[in-house]
Amino acid sequence: MTPSDPSPVDPPAQRPRRRVESATGAGAGATPSVPAPRRPRAPRKSNSPAPVRDEPVDRGGAWCVVGAGPHGLSALKALLQHGVDVDGFERAADVGGNWNFGAPTSRVYESTHLISSKPFTQFPDFPMPDSFPDYPSHRQIKEYFGRYADHFGLRGHLHPGHEVVRAVPVEEGRAWDVTVRDVATSTETTYRYAGLVVANGHNWSPKQPTYPGLETFGGEVMHSADYKGADVLRGRRVLVVGAGNTGCDVAVESAQNAVHTWHSTRRGYHYNPKFALGRPGDQVADQLLALRLPLALRRALFTATLKVTVGDLAKFGLKRPDHKFFETHPIVNQQLVYYVGHGDITPVDDIERVEADAVVFTDGRRAEVELIIFCTGYLVQFPFLQTEWLNWQDDHPQLFLQMFTPSFDNLVVSGLIQPDSGQWTLAHWQGVLIARVAEALRDRPAVARGLLSRAPQEAGRRFTAGAHYKDSTRHYFEVAHQDYLRAVEQAIRELEDSA
Amino acid sequence: MSVTKPLRRKTLAMRPFDWAFPSASVSHREVISSVPDEPTGRPPLLMVHGIAHAAWCFGEKWVPAAGEAGWPAYAVSLRGHGGSSGARHLRRTMMRDYVHDVLQTITELPEPPVLIGHSMGAAVAQMVAERYPLRGLVLLTPAPLHSGIADLLAIARDRPLDALGAVVGRTLSMTPDLLFEGLDPETARSYAERTGTESPLVQYELLLPRRTGPIRCPVLVIGAPSDRLVRPADVQRTAETYGVEPVWFPGMGHDVMLDRGNDAVLDTVLRFAADLPAWGRAAPR
Repeated sequence: MTPSDPSPVDPPAQRPRRRVESATGAGAGATPSVPAPRRPRAPRKSNSPAPVRDEPVDRGGAWCVVGAGPHGLSALKALLQHGVDVDGFERAADVGGNWNFGAPTSRVYESTHLISSKPFTQFPDFPMPDSFPDYPSHRQIKEYFGRYADHFGLRGHLHPGHEVVRAVPVEEGRAWDVTVRDVATSTETTYRYAGLVVANGHNWSPKQPTYPGLETFGGEVMHSADYKGADVLRGRRVLVVGAGNTGCDVAVESAQNAVHTWHSTRRGYHYNPKFALGRPGDQVADQLLALRLPLALRRALFTATLKVTVGDLAKFGLKRPDHKFFETHPIVNQQLVYYVGHGDITPVDDIERVEADAVVFTDGRRAEVELIIFCTGYLVQFPFLQTEWLNWQDDHPQLFLQMFTPSFDNLVVSGLIQPDSGQWTLAHWQGVLIARVAEALRDRPAVARGLLSRAPQEAGRRFTAGAHYKDSTRHYFEVAHQDYLRAVEQAIRELEDSA
Repeated sequence: MSVTKPLRRKTLAMRPFDWAFPSASVSHREVISSVPDEPTGRPPLLMVHGIAHAAWCFGEKWVPAAGEAGWPAYAVSLRGHGGSSGARHLRRTMMRDYVHDVLQTITELPEPPVLIGHSMGAAVAQMVAERYPLRGLVLLTPAPLHSGIADLLAIARDRPLDALGAVVGRTLSMTPDLLFEGLDPETARSYAERTGTESPLVQYELLLPRRTGPIRCPVLVIGAPSDRLVRPADVQRTAETYGVEPVWFPGMGHDVMLDRGNDAVLDTVLRFAADLPAWGRAAPR
């Protein structure tokens, strides 16, 4: 958002409010104390602490969506499509979330491309253009989200440059008071909503590992969250830590630019090729799913395909995977093995300790490095919510369908899933389910409660399609896309049946 | 009147076949359009042609007329038809490829359109409406999704050789008398001569019953009692699927966008489109 932007700070107030309707409505009728909405004052440019309004602005039956990444956008669109009024808030100046390259919480880097191919990564009702390649770049993805927002007229309901700082259940959980801060002016306003969709993403708060001696290291240490491009790598001796998709991407880029690269991983992984048998590899995989082959057979076919296309990783000096296929989040990288084979990447074990100018690994090897990049992932955080509202247990939320809480009908988390496929087909169907629930809560509350009454028993149920995920703290929101999508589809049909 | 239960399907999210075997990209897609110079607040109209036709059949009358009336009007040629590429692969083109073509065209429009499908294009349009939140759906003499066998048998009674040809994979021949009722023979012949070839797989697919998922947008069905390609009984049954009554245009043939009286049909379509609720404000069923 440009500071000179003269538009009013308080976009929701530009539209007519439904206060009167809600005060006489059945659900919100018990709130006679809601004061008349006030027209917000002109933006203040001072840096003094912004005043906090005591009285919330009642937005009637509207819902609130936090975040305008893919999950926020799909929820916003589905709610509008189902005739539910909605306000969306986004901290950055534009839509795209993580894919809004250069925005403060974007974690993509210059070379980021999709790691799943178009067909089941895109929104099913808004396919990516034919002109996009199989694996589009982050720039194309941002353009795609922008066109989605334009096409469905979402921008009129979306308030970029507005950060949600607090959300509190009121009226015994029938409504949510959401406090929003205008990033440009620090003015805070509180609105009252019938429901809250939390889509603030799970890849923005860096998880920083600790190692003995790290503080004595004389070189540079960075997290991949701050890695934007290959410039930092050029001419240096680089250690990349972490075997996730980012770790492998950065290791490859380092191999292309740095003097030498070490890649530290705790275990061996399967490296899926982006293309296999002349097609995007994930399409080959879904071919087996389309045939409804059982897990063991799919696993065997997969392993055989990898043996043919990639070969025995141990021969390249990489660790053999200590787990079966489908037991960790897939790593899609065709180039890592290539650069290992060219000697540009030396695979090493976990870090034992860090010295002033070198790193010692648990296998006893020692490498003199100038730059350490931790590609160690992200923490899931909801800074504007109390974690217990999300049924927080064992360091993570336990939700029904990875979306609904046992305690609130009108609090939904969207995007807390990490599928073994593309993400945004799932984002679309999560959006549809949210909209159907919101619609049912308004028009047929008993039907909505019928579905949501299963939340206490089914909270935390996993969708693994029979696989046993390794390292469950990292994988607690990993889902097998076919298993998860069938469950969401089933929930949507339940609401349809009782229409 | 049919008493068969309409074939309706529940929401379908899992489509692994589409993910594993996505439609091939098309290098060029022909879109004929007529867009008012100033925004008129009208939603776009997107028209999809039928068997062996192409965008020209709407480009003749309806696209310019709708544009003149203040509607952003578009007509697309499906792959392998008219000016669109893909003719070389027409023999292995399927209905879902046409759905892909229409969805690709829709995503290039500034907002959700009213989709107008004719004949086979109406079958495609229903498959699009299952996936995409249209503003409204108009079905012109729609090829039946519940199976076109009866229509093929009806054609076989009059012209057994043509019907047999379609069964062995030849394009159903589009003769003037099959398409038009009220045009002078010269014009009728010139239109019929502009028709091309159709994918044999798609012709087969039209014979098979296919269910459509929930369609939540308003639907208008238009039929011609003297249609010789799609039987009025099938038009009636398609309309019943959506709980509406067809609007009939006596004295017209199958190609209601070209035959004499096409302006009256367009009027009905535009009136339906003008009365549609704003997108996202549609009253739920």
